[in-house]
Amino acid sequence: MNWLSRLVGGSAAAEKLSPELKGILEKWKDAPEPDLGRPHFETRYIVLNTEASGLNLDTDRLLAIAALGVRGGLLSPADAVCCALEPDPAGGLGTLLEFIGKAPVVVFNTGFNKALIERAFEEHLGFTPEWQWLDLQWILPVLFSEKISGQVRLNNWIEAFGLETFQRHHALGDGLMIAQMLIAALGRGSALGAVTARSLIEMERSRRAARR
Amino acid sequence: MTEATEMLVGASVDFLCRHSPFNRMEREALEFLASRLALAFHPKDSVILSPEMGQVKHFFIIQRGKVQARQTGNVSVTEYSSLNMDPGECFPIGAISAQRPSTNTYIAVEDSFCFQLPAEDFMSLMQMSPVFHLFCTQYIASLLNQSRQQLQIQFSQRAAEQQTMTTPLGQLIKRDPVSVTAETVTRAALQQMADDHVGCMVVVDADRKPIGILTQSDLLTRLLLPAFDLSRPIGEVMSASPHVMSSSASAYDAALEMATHGVRHLLVVDAEERLLGVVSERDLFSLQRIGLRQIRAGIESASDVDALQQASRDIRQLALNLIAQGIGAEQLTRFISALNDALTCRIIELCIDRHELHDAEFAWLAFGSEGRHEQTLSTDQDNGLIYVLPEGVAQEAYKLKLIAFARSVNEDLAACGFPLCKGNIMASNPELCLTLAEWKNRFGSWIREPDPKALLNASIFFDFRSLYGIEKLAEQLRSWLLANAKTNTTFLHMMAGNALTVPPPLGRIRDFVTDDDPQHPGTIDLKKSGARLFVDAARILSLRTGVTSSSTVQRLRQAGQKLGWSSDELSAIIEGFNFIQLLRLRSQHLDTEHDAPGDNRVNPDQLNELDRRILKEAFRQARKIQLRLKLDYQL
Repeated sequence: MNWLSRLVGGSAAAEKLSPELKGILEKWKDAPEPDLGRPHFETRYIVLNTEASGLNLDTDRLLAIAALGVRGGLLSPADAVCCALEPDPAGGLGTLLEFIGKAPVVVFNTGFNKALIERAFEEHLGFTPEWQWLDLQWILPVLFSEKISGQVRLNNWIEAFGLETFQRHHALGDGLMIAQMLIAALGRGSALGAVTARSLIEMERSRRAARR
Repeated sequence: MTEATEMLVGASVDFLCRHSPFNRMEREALEFLASRLALAFHPKDSVILSPEMGQVKHFFIIQRGKVQARQTGNVSVTEYSSLNMDPGECFPIGAISAQRPSTNTYIAVEDSFCFQLPAEDFMSLMQMSPVFHLFCTQYIASLLNQSRQQLQIQFSQRAAEQQTMTTPLGQLIKRDPVSVTAETVTRAALQQMADDHVGCMVVVDADRKPIGILTQSDLLTRLLLPAFDLSRPIGEVMSASPHVMSSSASAYDAALEMATHGVRHLLVVDAEERLLGVVSERDLFSLQRIGLRQIRAGIESASDVDALQQASRDIRQLALNLIAQGIGAEQLTRFISALNDALTCRIIELCIDRHELHDAEFAWLAFGSEGRHEQTLSTDQDNGLIYVLPEGVAQEAYKLKLIAFARSVNEDLAACGFPLCKGNIMASNPELCLTLAEWKNRFGSWIREPDPKALLNASIFFDFRSLYGIEKLAEQLRSWLLANAKTNTTFLHMMAGNALTVPPPLGRIRDFVTDDDPQHPGTIDLKKSGARLFVDAARILSLRTGVTSSSTVQRLRQAGQKLGWSSDELSAIIEGFNFIQLLRLRSQHLDTEHDAPGDNRVNPDQLNELDRRILKEAFRQARKIQLRLKLDYQL
């Protein structure tokens, strides 16, 4: 798939969607926006993590997206999906969209993940869902400054928290560790007075502003 | 289950498999556990679980970090006051099993991740996984074992403050003894008594060995009335051969000695029989309004049932006072037994006079709890008679005479507060007023044909002892019984099966299984599902090993030794039995009538935490002894 077909793919893809997928899209668009002022223990966050063929946005392909629900600060194995982009990218993304709903999504490194995910949605579903994005890469150094105070890579945080997983560089394998970072962030955030999604969003925004 | 869920469950399984007991758990149970676990984060210094949170809702497994368990409340129930736990360790096992609030507070001492499992899934897991079930019960058992040791320390500290009847006499001596030699002028001795404010003067020889005593109560009868010349030596007026006891004897021994001999002072001596001090009745029963000796004297001098009724009330009062003083159940029941024996003997003596049976050769037998020396305050009569038919006498007429006598005894006992036996297990029942040969026949038929009725009878009648009369008759019956029962394995096997019909009221989920009797909701019958478990097992052991004692504690101790049980295990079992007996006595404490409906019942929810824990431990001991029977008899 070259850059041209990526560019024109969107509208054409939307027309080819199955009625089932169209229904999912409609339902998603009609769903109410999340209340970002609710405390963490009443909020469902979705940790997203992508697995691509490499780290170059221009040349590498998205292979899979893992999504892990964190509800009430708890990470439960039952609340998780992992969507492969092959062989049915549209079906996989539909499942993902249904799973996430309008919940705020949490990633490590928004720039990379958001770009890959939005491009996939546009290409295969002809539509870009607008979620509230949260980036742990920016939030963690605020909440856990005693561990690391700068912008660092995922590996550094994994090491700092001493996390383990069943498979590194796997969408779900790394997603599991990012989800653990999120529940830690929610716990530490609550203890420090950042008790809502909105306060974490603010935290990220001011951190980005300060670093600019 | 989505593919993602399967992978995450797999990741949790991998973690669990690195830690005990999960690494030994059945695969299916492990996957169930992993699929139900949710991971939570607990910031440093945050409380994960505390007693205030009420009934425990989750079982926690530490995934990462460090958690500290801290004891809360006044009563320390475990060896530790705080305990650090690492990844793979889990909590709170006892509280969640018992569906109660945690007794500890659990705090994250580092940023920690913990898996949590909902309580209902914990229960399912216990049922699903024998490995996990065993792990939890062993954990709870070890906790209770710890708490038992802890309690013993606490109790012995309290006991030291309170002075119980098990205190060695040496510790009861309050001051150096006041003593003189036999040559001392009586007036000087009396002067010294007055100066030192003592109630008695001990007379010793050159080696300080006591040879006599002069007490205040002797003054009137020995000095004043006979107008004794006070210038003469005290040796001429003292009571010679005074009652002495070793300093290692217990207060209880001393009390019995005083009661038996009707004295108020005992001289305490060391191993070389040299005088160490004097212990008075008042020292022993400082908290007690009625003395043993008075009751004993009251019984012995009673000339009719009215006087004995008073003594019976006094025995009850004394028992209550002794309970208040914290005396142990074994001693207490023996006390009650000893005094009730004296009362019964006096009634029998009075009836012998009335029925002119002075020459009759018989033994009055006590059965059941009285036979075992385990009378509580609420015991009805269980007695019988074994007699020798005089030569040349018609049996029928003689037996009628004995039965008439026995009926008088039964009625007098009833008048003194021992209700007539509803099952007519009384000496006035012609079936239970038998010669030695007839008793052997009776017992023999039960052993040969152990139907349910026979087993029930065996459980009552095999706990017999002679209470009055010719003891040898009872001994002959016992040695015959032991010889016959021992060889009949079918009978012992049936007895064992019968003893196992009632399990200890321990719940798998709740601490205790309470009675569903609508009359007494939420209670446990400490006799039926407590004491009897030990009593039945002890009886079988005694028959099997030929132990002649009829007391449960003695049976366990002697038979257990013969069977090679460890002394720790034996003491734990005996302590368990004694504690249940003590609770029974305490629950009867408030009831004034014998055999009141609430007797023997205890509501575990109304016990304090300590008693509840010990009671649970006691029932565990009952289970242990039942398990031994089960193994021994392959039931």
